[in-house]
Amino acid sequence: MATDTLVTISLPKEKQSSLDRFLAKGFPTNKWEEWKYTSLKSLNDIEWNWNTSEQSVNSAALALENTVEIQTQNGKMTLLGSLPTGVEYLDFASFAAQNPEFIRTFNERNPILDQNSLYDLNDALASSHQVIWVKKGVKLDKPILHTYFASVSIASAIQIKLLIYLEEGASLTWVDDLASSEDSKSILSNYVQEIWVSQNAHLTFVKTQDFGLSTTHVDHTFINQEDQSLVDMFTFSLNGGLIRNNLHFYVDGEQVVSNLNGLYVPGNNQLVDSHTVVDHRMPNSESNELYKGVLLGNSTGVFNGKIFVRPDAQKTNAFQSCKNVLASDKATMNTKPQLEIWADDVKCSHGTTTGQLSDEALFYMQSRGISQDAAKTLLMLAFVQQVIDKVEIPALKESISNRVVAKIQQALGV
Amino acid sequence: MPLFRVNLNKVWFRKIYGFNFAVNYHFKNKRMLSITNLHAQIGEKEILRGINLEVKAGEVHAIMGPNGSGKSTLASVLAGREDYEVTSGSVSFFGKDLLDLAPEERAAEGVFLAFQYPVEIPGVSTTNFMKSAVNEIRKYRGEEPLDAVQFLKMFKEKMAYVNIDQSLLSRSLNEGFSGGEKKRNEIFQMAVLAPKLAILDETDSGLDIDALRIVAEGVNKLKSPDNATIVVTHYQRLLDYIVPDYVHVLYKGRIVKSGTKELALELEEKGYDWIISALVD
Repeated sequence: MATDTLVTISLPKEKQSSLDRFLAKGFPTNKWEEWKYTSLKSLNDIEWNWNTSEQSVNSAALALENTVEIQTQNGKMTLLGSLPTGVEYLDFASFAAQNPEFIRTFNERNPILDQNSLYDLNDALASSHQVIWVKKGVKLDKPILHTYFASVSIASAIQIKLLIYLEEGASLTWVDDLASSEDSKSILSNYVQEIWVSQNAHLTFVKTQDFGLSTTHVDHTFINQEDQSLVDMFTFSLNGGLIRNNLHFYVDGEQVVSNLNGLYVPGNNQLVDSHTVVDHRMPNSESNELYKGVLLGNSTGVFNGKIFVRPDAQKTNAFQSCKNVLASDKATMNTKPQLEIWADDVKCSHGTTTGQLSDEALFYMQSRGISQDAAKTLLMLAFVQQVIDKVEIPALKESISNRVVAKIQQALGV
Repeated sequence: MPLFRVNLNKVWFRKIYGFNFAVNYHFKNKRMLSITNLHAQIGEKEILRGINLEVKAGEVHAIMGPNGSGKSTLASVLAGREDYEVTSGSVSFFGKDLLDLAPEERAAEGVFLAFQYPVEIPGVSTTNFMKSAVNEIRKYRGEEPLDAVQFLKMFKEKMAYVNIDQSLLSRSLNEGFSGGEKKRNEIFQMAVLAPKLAILDETDSGLDIDALRIVAEGVNKLKSPDNATIVVTHYQRLLDYIVPDYVHVLYKGRIVKSGTKELALELEEKGYDWIISALVD
């Protein structure tokens, strides 16, 4: 078994206990409730290199002007250029030494859910654990672009961990441009982000996932929000063999706004699984979740959206919507909205739909001279546009839009 | 029909006899659409049971008939809706086999169907929709695509036909439009695509008298000696505004009576029963 080699690794005590937890559980299989449609059992058949020392390769990264870039190549993180005053990029140990108070609070944060053995694996073996620290009242006027690229010549697990800490009144736009090469050997990309958004702070986080078919990407994003903070989260799953996104919001303040936007376009032999949790623990907050999917070829999609409204979270507004288009007879979509509401004075709604393109709409467009393939492309793009349009960086919006169109056209054979 | 008309081209006539004469003489009598013994069914149910119809350039034909007689089916079959299976017969459009073409090819050849129930397309504005349509058709015809400036100019010009304003065209196509707005949008699309044959399927349904007048005026402005219109309607009302050259009564999938515009008035007065009972006798 692939994990056998892990037993021989020796680690510092705390990391060792994370590793032991992983070993006890192993890779998730579809016997686990939270992994019902997304088994990672086959990862056991691969002889993984757990400690990537491979030199990086040139990536065709997203070209965004006017950004500060942080690069991660095969798990090695580097800051290119310099950050504005009031923003620090440092390793976790140094950060922890400077912020004992915060670390205490941070460690008392809500425990992560069960059935997440890959979080433990990451905790044990992450090749880098860096911190982006935006100080009180600092508002970055340009985005930080994180280009994450992987390409390996032997099957490798690439694991990094990131802490984003926004102090009171800070503001940051973070772009995660995640990619791997099409011709790489197997990659297990296991990426953890822990995010703390203090009072009155504002985070925009745009994540694009554009991997090769040999990549299994597991994403863990944990976001704590304090009073009056705002988070706009975007997850664009454009390509990859298997992508699993775990996105957890802990609403630990009042007048908090959490916006979760997702778009997935899995193609042939691809799977995208979005597991989201919004945990409302305090009153007077609001969450809006909008996920859309276009499922091409024989792809599989999974959406599981949990909303918890705890007894103290009165006057919560929580909305969830997940809409999908099956672009082929062979595509499958599994949706499961899950609302647990203990407070009595709340407004919550959820809705999931999965359907096919309307024949009526297609005929209408054809009757105006638009070919069937062009009509399908137009309809599918229109369907997902709502999510793309919320991105406020024009070049990024365009890049996402172009990649979605290219993928749809490829699937239609045009 | 004198023989010499058939193969003479527009340019030749224009040179010899002057423009107006050439247009009238050449196009007005040019055979555009020939429907011969057309049978079509949906599932096992035969709806069209031997339609014969000739439409020439410059003509307006009204297809009338009671509910369920096959009027909308005929319109749909001509536009290429896949739900219907053509079991026999032929449709020739300027000599081409129309039934052999995909709906988008028919549109590019110059067929336009104004829908009875225009479809709502969320996320696609009328302007974007029309830009795609025009440029796809131009591609089919081997023409260069239009650019943004050319579109702007063209749309502005065509908007005047149906008194439609820019804000409506920027919204998602037909989404949340009133009945009148939807039909005006159909005629706007027709103005942009400038079809040779326009088929108006129950365009009057759901319209109040003012909207009806605006829509009809749009259609009339688009009329020319080189295009033709088929108006499918249940009521005579629309024909007060779009005056037909010929009126056909469709009943149980066949044209059972044809006449001039006076026939429509007679139907308005006496209903369909007298025609139907005459058939039984």
